[in-house]
Amino acid sequence: MNSGTKKDHLHSSRRLQVPTLIAVMLVLVLCVVPIWTDGYTLNNYRDILLLGLFALSLDIFWGRTGILSFGHATFFGLGAYGMAITTIKFGLDPAWASLAGLAVGVLLAAVVALFVGYFILYGGVRGAYFTIVTLALTMIASHIAIGWSSMTGGDSGLIGVPPLSVLGYTFYDPVSSFYLALGALTLCLFGSLWVMHGRFGLVLKAIQDDETKARTLGYKTQWLLLKTFVVSAAMAGLAGALYATGTGFVAPDMIALLLSTEVIIWVAVGGSGSLVGAVIGTAIVWQLQVKISSISFAAWPIAIGVFFILLVLVFPKGPGAFLMQKLSKLRRSGNGAAQ
Amino acid sequence: MQAAIPLILNAMTLISILLLVSLGMAIIFGLMNVINLAHGEFITIGAFTLVVIQGLGGSFWMALILAPVVGYIIGLVLEKILISRVYGNPLHAILVTWGLSLILQQVIQLGFGSAPQPVSGPFPGPVTIAGVMYPAYRLFLIAFALATFVAVVVTFKKTRFGLDLRASIQSTEMAAVMGVNPDRINAHAFALGSALATLAGVLIAPMAAVTAYMGINYLARSFFVVLVGGAGSIPGVAAGSGIIGGLETLLSYQIPVTVAQASVLILAIVILRFRPQGILPS
Repeated sequence: MNSGTKKDHLHSSRRLQVPTLIAVMLVLVLCVVPIWTDGYTLNNYRDILLLGLFALSLDIFWGRTGILSFGHATFFGLGAYGMAITTIKFGLDPAWASLAGLAVGVLLAAVVALFVGYFILYGGVRGAYFTIVTLALTMIASHIAIGWSSMTGGDSGLIGVPPLSVLGYTFYDPVSSFYLALGALTLCLFGSLWVMHGRFGLVLKAIQDDETKARTLGYKTQWLLLKTFVVSAAMAGLAGALYATGTGFVAPDMIALLLSTEVIIWVAVGGSGSLVGAVIGTAIVWQLQVKISSISFAAWPIAIGVFFILLVLVFPKGPGAFLMQKLSKLRRSGNGAAQ
Repeated sequence: MQAAIPLILNAMTLISILLLVSLGMAIIFGLMNVINLAHGEFITIGAFTLVVIQGLGGSFWMALILAPVVGYIIGLVLEKILISRVYGNPLHAILVTWGLSLILQQVIQLGFGSAPQPVSGPFPGPVTIAGVMYPAYRLFLIAFALATFVAVVVTFKKTRFGLDLRASIQSTEMAAVMGVNPDRINAHAFALGSALATLAGVLIAPMAAVTAYMGINYLARSFFVVLVGGAGSIPGVAAGSGIIGGLETLLSYQIPVTVAQASVLILAIVILRFRPQGILPS
């Protein structure tokens, strides 16, 4: 088969699609939010945007390859701890320490993903196996974050992460740090939409449908999956590093299993695979989480547990799709009654 | 030589615990292709059975007999109402059992509080082996766990249930055609795996901090035992427990425990790359 016909079959669909439209509107609205929002709320929004970026990073991998990673909190945490340790422990020149921290955080996440991903993806580990291996990865990472207290501060974490500072400009006040988070999210979101709506996204979809077939057609599926995994991890690391500069501290719950679990829910609520849905899902669930956690400390993990069971038994395609289905059924039965 | 004796016995302690826990996981995984992430919570349930029974004035031995029964019954019920709905979709099984695990943890914590529970085991004090003092309870634990493991293996080889189970692990369809009721086998296999984990929980409790989260420490290890050893194979479970438990104990002597655990995980991942089907597949 020559490459010309292959291109005909796998033509890219870079038209203006619904997720892209929603993303554009979302970003436009967010751009003007600081005009009427006070600093405290804005800091909250900034955190949600960065967690949304984290959710986006999971959606790139899970939503597009169908392989669920239970280890994304590891990469978020590596980003956050990489940033915190670099800026606090080494006494670097403050002018560029936070940039170095950003680089260290993102690189750390990418390198760990490259190592783990190489061995398990090339070892043929897929599906449920992959999920558990990455789950164990998060367990070990959080063990280390708690146990290695001389470096990580143990249970109490590290306090005093400086805000990001680039070429003498410091993202210190709520407005500038909000725009920093928004900028990072916008870049990553449109970058991901661009790539995933193109040829690369189509090939990933082919791998999700049938990896053996995709490999038979000449695609290096293991390499493509590894590449996606590493980029996804680096993005999670970026989110973690920026998150640490915003909050000013890191704690073991930023690298914990519960966070790995939560991010899956954020993506699932938004509908996995749509990318922009991950960001919207994060915003929705985060509000819910704050409310439920205020009732009792135990209520939130129980709510997550119930959600997972419902997700599988009641709405396996995500709550959004479930609602849409019910709505369209209602509308259809309404039309039927009218005729 | 004398220094090696406690090292070997410590390794044996962890290995024999892993044998019990992983055997249950391997049966459930090999038979139903379900990775039970709530498996660790059955260890917790076992330990809390001991807490409750000792709180009511009962003895350790009573708990050792009752806990597997409790685990078996809870396992049967959960299999019926939840696990049986997710056969055939491993990802769904993971999400459901993980949700179950989170709920069980919180329910146990709500009921008993977050402080470690006081429990006591039999055989306090040490005994002397070849001139080395070693806790007598741990020796009992090793002997009891190994005896249980052997008993389960014999059950598999010699009884009708064991034959049905092994046939179903090889091919559920073929076994069903030959008259083995798959629903019954699945339910009892899941319950048996749960009972083994609760039994392990009672054995661990006297030497561990008994909290609602204690089971999770064994979840990843036993999963790697199954993965490294080979899914659904009893020799695989033995080999995997030996490697994971032995290595972790050995490394913990030289380097911090967390680093030792991380190293074992890394090794397991490397083994996966070169022997994806495990060391001794079924």
